[in-house]
Amino acid sequence: MISWPVARAAAREKLRSPAILVVGACFVSAAALGGRAGAPGDTFGGFGVAFLLVLTLALGAGLLSDELDSGHAQLVLLRPLTRAAWLGGRLAGAGVALAAVTAAAWAAAAVASLGSGHALPLSALALLPLAVLWAFAWLSVLTALGAILPGWTNAGALVVAAIAWATLRTTLPALLGHPEWAAAAAELSKYLGPQDPLGLAFDRHALGPALYDACWVFFAWLVAALLFNRRELARRRP
Amino acid sequence: MTGALPALEAAGLRKVYRARGGGQVVAVDGLSFAVRPGEVVGLLGPNGAGKTTAMQLALALLEPDAGEVRLFGRDPELLEVRRRVGYAPDAPLFPRRLTGLQILALHGELLGFRRVAARDRAERFAEQVGVAEPARRPAGTYSRGQAQRLGLALALLGDPDLVLLDEPTAGLDPAGVAAMRELLVSLRGRGAAVLLNSHLLSEVERVCDRVLFIKEGRLLRTHDVRAGGRRAEVRLANAAQVSARLAEKIPGGALEGDRFRVPVASEDVVPALVRELVAAGAEILEVRLGGAELEQLYLQIVEGRA
Repeated sequence: MISWPVARAAAREKLRSPAILVVGACFVSAAALGGRAGAPGDTFGGFGVAFLLVLTLALGAGLLSDELDSGHAQLVLLRPLTRAAWLGGRLAGAGVALAAVTAAAWAAAAVASLGSGHALPLSALALLPLAVLWAFAWLSVLTALGAILPGWTNAGALVVAAIAWATLRTTLPALLGHPEWAAAAAELSKYLGPQDPLGLAFDRHALGPALYDACWVFFAWLVAALLFNRRELARRRP
Repeated sequence: MTGALPALEAAGLRKVYRARGGGQVVAVDGLSFAVRPGEVVGLLGPNGAGKTTAMQLALALLEPDAGEVRLFGRDPELLEVRRRVGYAPDAPLFPRRLTGLQILALHGELLGFRRVAARDRAERFAEQVGVAEPARRPAGTYSRGQAQRLGLALALLGDPDLVLLDEPTAGLDPAGVAAMRELLVSLRGRGAAVLLNSHLLSEVERVCDRVLFIKEGRLLRTHDVRAGGRRAEVRLANAAQVSARLAEKIPGGALEGDRFRVPVASEDVVPALVRELVAAGAEILEVRLGGAELEQLYLQIVEGRA
């Protein structure tokens, strides 16, 4: 399911990208500022979560198409390797880069928090894997979109879809004269993408979102593999 | 048993590209050919003839609309079949931030070598194709020739039994072209089958056993390069003065303008021929092996010129 040589190469490539490094540095700085304020949850709240999302988009944009457009994917896929394993490797590599930057942000927050004389509650430790899981689930969505969309349009399509849905969800019920639909639309929203599992760090009974995200990762990878298996690999067309 | 099978066998391949506006281009149309172990086969044709598409169909990178490809008698998508195939595309691009050695090592691992062995192999192949030093830099900094050489190293990394090379000499300097020629000869020597797409007619004639002329996706003709022997072409400074003596001393040759063309069995006999010409009083400006005949054939078959 995962080619680890491909994953290592993808992680290396992503962690050397100037765009990823800039977003990562902003994320780490925002997390350190949140940590100084004393609330460990702020590592992945406010600016922190915004940078985590931007980082996820930057890692997922063109995750497959960069390789396909250059023709390197075709060479890799001529090796004894299934398409699903290549896809799993690319996703895992981007996930490793995501985890590395997120861990750096978390560590920066923890050090800043301790340095400011605040105690670091045990629950703060759980924030790191939960945040990575949530972002990784979004990364899986980007991978599934990238299996059919060219270039960096997978990230663009996701952003446009999210904005479109947010707009519809808030305006459509009122426009149609059914304001009571807003609550149903908000409830539906939770199931249209990965769920925020960070509450689990503070509420031991909130396992649902974390499990939902884990399933989301698997099914997104499965959809990506199914879509990608139907694609022709040659890069040149007249 | 496997040795008796063609390394590559294509039967009735057809590929149509559909444009968004509704138009369509028939890239390959009923193409059938085979490449046997120990054979170097050239694909010749004008731009857009369908040579690259034919290679991509052979590798299952494209889905044919009709026809079938077998590699070593088996489905080209089987993983154990892919282990035996090497492919160097035209103008390859690589992950910009990885070094050539990292890319080679990645492919080594995918071929089943352990990490350390893959790294050693990467260094060896980088050196073999002349990119030992650039291979330590990120691939984004490579010139076209260096990228071409890295692509070649990738194609050869697994000691493949079938190698498909798409314009491998494009972007290479003369030393690179000469090294490529030696490489093709060594591949043939160890029994590998090679399908070569190149516009360098002289190179094709020197290294290929057979040439497939393709135009508009169709196979026009197969030319057996070895069956007709080769031809040496000698440019002379004093052709007019020595024409009678040449006709007498070398009766198989023909003088056209300042060029004297002689069929030769192999390149080994060229030094003797040169000595014979000098003895006959010829002042030699240039000696070329092959090229002219294939060029004539190409113009005749592909361009339809008399």
